[in-house]
Amino acid sequence: MIHKLALRNLLRNKRRSLLTSLIIVFAFSMMILFMGLSDGGHKAMIDIGVRMGLGHVIVQHPEYRDDPALSHLLDNPEQLKQQLIDTDKRLTPVARLRSDALIQAGRHGVALTISGVEPEIEAQVSAIADKKAIVQGQTLAAFANSTDLHRLSGIVIGETLAKNLEVRIGDTITLTVKPASGGDLARSAFEVAGIFKTGLHELDTFWAEVPIQDLQALLEVPNQVSQIALYTSAGSDNVAQLATALTAQFPTLDILPWQTAAPELYSAVTLDAAGMYLLMLIVYVVVAVGILNTVLMSTFRRQKEFSMMIALGARASTVSKVVLLEAIYLSAFSLTIGLALGLWGHHHFATQGLDFKEVFGTAMEAGGVLLPEKFYSTLEANKLSLSVLFVFVLTILVTLIPAIRAGHRSPVAASQES
Amino acid sequence: MIKLNQINKIFSDKHQSFHCLKDLNLEVKQGEFTVIAGPSGSGKSTLLNIIGLLDKPSSGSYEFDGQNVAKLNNNQLADIRREKIGFVFQAYNLMPVLTALENTEMIMEFCNVDKKVRRQRAMETLEAVGLGEFKNRFPAQLSGGQQQRVAVARAIAAQPLLVVADEPTANLDSHSTESLLDLMQSLNQELGVTFLFSSHDPRVIDRAHRVVHLQDGQIVKDVCTNNNDQQVAV
Repeated sequence: MIHKLALRNLLRNKRRSLLTSLIIVFAFSMMILFMGLSDGGHKAMIDIGVRMGLGHVIVQHPEYRDDPALSHLLDNPEQLKQQLIDTDKRLTPVARLRSDALIQAGRHGVALTISGVEPEIEAQVSAIADKKAIVQGQTLAAFANSTDLHRLSGIVIGETLAKNLEVRIGDTITLTVKPASGGDLARSAFEVAGIFKTGLHELDTFWAEVPIQDLQALLEVPNQVSQIALYTSAGSDNVAQLATALTAQFPTLDILPWQTAAPELYSAVTLDAAGMYLLMLIVYVVVAVGILNTVLMSTFRRQKEFSMMIALGARASTVSKVVLLEAIYLSAFSLTIGLALGLWGHHHFATQGLDFKEVFGTAMEAGGVLLPEKFYSTLEANKLSLSVLFVFVLTILVTLIPAIRAGHRSPVAASQES
Repeated sequence: MIKLNQINKIFSDKHQSFHCLKDLNLEVKQGEFTVIAGPSGSGKSTLLNIIGLLDKPSSGSYEFDGQNVAKLNNNQLADIRREKIGFVFQAYNLMPVLTALENTEMIMEFCNVDKKVRRQRAMETLEAVGLGEFKNRFPAQLSGGQQQRVAVARAIAAQPLLVVADEPTANLDSHSTESLLDLMQSLNQELGVTFLFSSHDPRVIDRAHRVVHLQDGQIVKDVCTNNNDQQVAV
């Protein structure tokens, strides 16, 4: 009977119930949509960030962070890489050697960061000089493996840098560095193997990559690297725990999760996530106010009915249950529709993606990372379940006081004519 | 069944108080068909509210069905109302979202009567009040007289000891009033249900076995009539 009463009372004022339901449906489905796109965006930002010369975890000399000098390099990188793999088989370690350098071609010269990389492995994990990013020529790995005879080792440079240096594929450029010995400047010529475009000004203008052995020789640091970047197939969610576990195993090394290694990226993700939480809060308030308004209006108009039920012998809890059930039915119905609509939207954007370039007309950059043209929605089941549960509990909470008050109406009011 | 002893009821607020019932004593026996009569403001409804356990007296003792009910809490009073007292209100007070049959079943559901039993009993009661064919109609689809009959059906379906009716004919035309009174009188005679009305309607007073006249919160006259012998056909 109380279920019947609750349902029929909701249908009694169809317009009011429908309006409240529509508000909840709209707010909740939008929240799911934005939650998916936001999480998807964060995932894309992190994935791209760690692939732009970073890594899920960075292993380096304990003093390298404060003073990235050639005196603070890691020795025996191959041995260390094997030790790291032994601790977690899901890790892909990539050795890198970095230094400031002057790159020259003809009368042009640019100061930049030169990165010595392992071309074969780097091509699998990095987005700077992988096949997609190369707009002219080839990757370092392809250049090294090509059957053509090359006089010089290859170098890949950014598109803007190539323009500034006025070089093309096959041209020779000179790299000048200060070796670790502190002696005279060391120079070496390289052949432009490929030109990449990441869309990030810093990388496209001031970044170049050469095979690590060439840079080691040039810098006079054989068998030494600036860092070992670790990529994990477990994804970016549990990186902090991974870094902590590795720190325990390798206490003499500086082991940084990407959040510490790239604080600007982490700040951008955190700030965006805070915006999402604010949106969720607004949705929760909208749902709470919507339900509360409906319940208050409904109970205010039915005070005599509650008195009558109590006069006829209904216990206070029975009357309160009717009011609570009304809110629960309204909330459950609206949340189900909102969830269905939100998941439908999520499915669309998870498969088709949201084309940001189409929407905003230009690619967007955040936290030092060029966001992808398309975002794909990602939803975490736990987060979604918690949101549904929270809204449901919120419904009960905001209804509790009007429900209790309805149950404590005086039965005398039932005998009064109006 | 009902023993009121030295009942007082005082309504008061910050500025004034109103002594509504004054040292009132009343006894009602099982099976009576009693009217509490009196002009407006005499305290009829207040007395009925106290007898029906909707309100508590300011002082005095009240024994209902052998139980002192003066110190019971709200839930205990609700339990007694549900199990032993039926109500018929002036404004019908049916649940607008329930059909005539569901309204009739409502109290029995509160009493946890088995679904089959209560459905059958509600149907029989609706038939008895002449509204069997209107069982699926909502209150808004019934006339005032029909709504009051449903209210009577609701009051008696749970087989209470006492039916309290506060001005039950106030909103009815004369035909509906006569018909309703016939119905209640027959239920009183056939089922032995005690009826206690408040009314200043002479048609109701004429049908009563006993008329308790109330004035300014005091019983001024308590008259037994010879209506006990009257046979009424529904």
